[in-house]
Amino acid sequence: MTMSTLETEVASQARPSDALRHLGVGEMSRVAVLIALLIAGQAITPSFLSLANIHVILLAVAAIGIMAYGMTLVVITGEIDLSIAGVAILSCVAGGLLIPTGSAVLVIGTTLLTGLAIGLVNGILVAALGIPSLITTLGMLGITRALANIFSGGQALYPEPIAAYLWLGRGDLVGVPLPIVLLVVLCAAAIALTKYSIFGRALYATGGNVKAAALSGINVVGVRTAVFAISGICAALAGMLESARLSYINPAGFEGMELSVLAVTVLGGAALSGGSGSITGTVVAALIIGIVNNLLNQLGVSIYLQQVVTAAVILAVVIPGMWQRGIAK
Amino acid sequence: MLKLSRRYLLKTAATLTVLAAAPLAIAPAAAEESVHSIINALIKKYSGEAKAGMSNGDVRALFEKDGFRDYLDVYPVGELAGGFVWKPGMGASFVGPYSKLQIKSPFTDYLPLAEGPVLDHNKKYRIGLVFHGFNHPWLISLADTAAWEAKRHPNIELEVIDAEFDDNKMGQVIDTWIAKQYDGIVLWPNREAPMGPPVDRAIAAGIPVVSLDRRTSSEQISSEVLGNFYANGLQQGLYLKHAAPEGNIIFNRKDLGSTADSIRTGAFLEAIGNTPGYKVLANYHTNSQRTLAFKSTADALQAFQDISVSFNTGGEEAMGALDAIREANRLNSAPGGKKMMILANDDAREVLKEIKAGNIEMVSPYTPLIGDIGIRAVVMHIGAKAGLNEALPKLIMTPNLPMITKEKMNIEGIETLTPDEWPYAYGPAVAG
Repeated sequence: MTMSTLETEVASQARPSDALRHLGVGEMSRVAVLIALLIAGQAITPSFLSLANIHVILLAVAAIGIMAYGMTLVVITGEIDLSIAGVAILSCVAGGLLIPTGSAVLVIGTTLLTGLAIGLVNGILVAALGIPSLITTLGMLGITRALANIFSGGQALYPEPIAAYLWLGRGDLVGVPLPIVLLVVLCAAAIALTKYSIFGRALYATGGNVKAAALSGINVVGVRTAVFAISGICAALAGMLESARLSYINPAGFEGMELSVLAVTVLGGAALSGGSGSITGTVVAALIIGIVNNLLNQLGVSIYLQQVVTAAVILAVVIPGMWQRGIAK
Repeated sequence: MLKLSRRYLLKTAATLTVLAAAPLAIAPAAAEESVHSIINALIKKYSGEAKAGMSNGDVRALFEKDGFRDYLDVYPVGELAGGFVWKPGMGASFVGPYSKLQIKSPFTDYLPLAEGPVLDHNKKYRIGLVFHGFNHPWLISLADTAAWEAKRHPNIELEVIDAEFDDNKMGQVIDTWIAKQYDGIVLWPNREAPMGPPVDRAIAAGIPVVSLDRRTSSEQISSEVLGNFYANGLQQGLYLKHAAPEGNIIFNRKDLGSTADSIRTGAFLEAIGNTPGYKVLANYHTNSQRTLAFKSTADALQAFQDISVSFNTGGEEAMGALDAIREANRLNSAPGGKKMMILANDDAREVLKEIKAGNIEMVSPYTPLIGDIGIRAVVMHIGAKAGLNEALPKLIMTPNLPMITKEKMNIEGIETLTPDEWPYAYGPAVAG
């Protein structure tokens, strides 16, 4: 056997295992489940991979995906944001109260700024004052939900007169629905932020070991405040997309959304202990959930059974990754 | 020698008040059949036919799978208290104390109480209203009407508490009122079973209790003011039969086992169960959530290209379904290029707007504007306890309301009303 042949053979044997090692068991199981779902979906319902159905799936996961981007950043730093559903609804109500002005800039601007402001408050309470994020954001969830009810008087608001607002949920760019465009663009931005920026490295360092990160010169207070601010603005944007699609701002809406988003984030590979997680993993996880729900709805499976199946899928994806970590220990 | 005690005078006055109102209400009944009676007769007819058998296998399979018969057989259908006859246009207008919205309440003439002090004019009556949902337009409207009625009587002091969908909290609130020896309690229970024991404790303490809309498991409760779920589902079925003898239906239903779902969906299936042309394509429980109804409908539209009817147990579901159908650009995608029919319940203003626009075909009204009946009923029970007036029946049915359609129609004797003829809608108006 010549040297070059040996090198080739070694390389050919090494490549898959290297790739697999690079991917990790958790990521492999996510991708495998996604592919299996796509194949099964197409086999069961012929129109499953039609453009129209792909639009439906992506539209269904747009809001939860965008919220999960923010949550992923927070979880990477070792924190948690349970306030996102409340932030989404209070932001939408705050903007919605300005609908009578007829100004799209005021309505949309207020919505996003409210999300940003609440996120900043969360960040300051957690990062600067040292209050655990679980307590801070759980409290903020209650406060924001209550304020949404107080400000709206418990009544729904209708953004019908603000065309630009509705366009966010119902419009398109060159034929692609805007929520999908935003899902993709923000995904790219979040990947760039986490993988290719100094800020991204600071995120993982802060989540991995906050003391070591601080000693190495990272502004951990700034990093943690920033991720909560980003999470807040993601929640407000996601809330606005959903409200625009339904043309309906419901002050009691997004019930339990924080747990769904957290499930997607964990399914995407982020460990609640911090220091790990990726946006690509989150996107794949959101797609898995979206596809499962779409497929089960198309098959007419009851919502109660859907919850069982969704939980089973989450376990099927998460357990191999945990098992791998257990073996590594 | 005639001895005129204060108690005797009060009893006479209260009885006269009730009697004075009653003949006026009863009088038109003889002249023409009320919509309440017409719908009750249709319920009897279709229920009887369904019991004899359902020839439509699809409908029968769904009906049997979810055990609708068990629920329908125990849901009361009957006459109105005091022989009351409701007609469109009746009722008082006011601004809701909580919602700040303009309200026209349909049943303010039902078991009426004259404005001013009630019962013993020198006594203050403390009444508690506990319900769930100062964050829900339907429930805020319910509280609006209760507060309006209480305000008309200067010697009624009403305390309103939101139990925030927590049965334990509702029980604790009732126990607190028992301890404080309130004169009467009105409640809107979320679920039947958990509220039975607190109601029984209040009754045992001598406090009259009236439930609104939904029932409790208490056998002792003074009165139950019941809605007209049966009329809702029946009319959805009658409309469908009238509009199209065949069709492929998808269902967006409320929580499995809830009264609203069991009776409305069950009555709908009873109405169409002997028409062979209907096919059940898909059946979802979207649990009163617009977003879930939206997603289920969006997915169903991908799975089925031949949907012709979207049945919705509630208004939230109907609005979610409509949005999904619009987003998919499928409003006119029923077989033969026909408009997809959307059938709804709950007369929210936004639903009426869509009926007017021709997007939703019909809605069966289910008004939350019944809180005032609860206050009047509990006052009369307090009066009966003191021997000041006759006791009310345990079941206080609210009048069956006719369906609302874009154009005026006559469907099996029911004169439908148009959105413009319906001043009783609840919730905020939708601009645009």
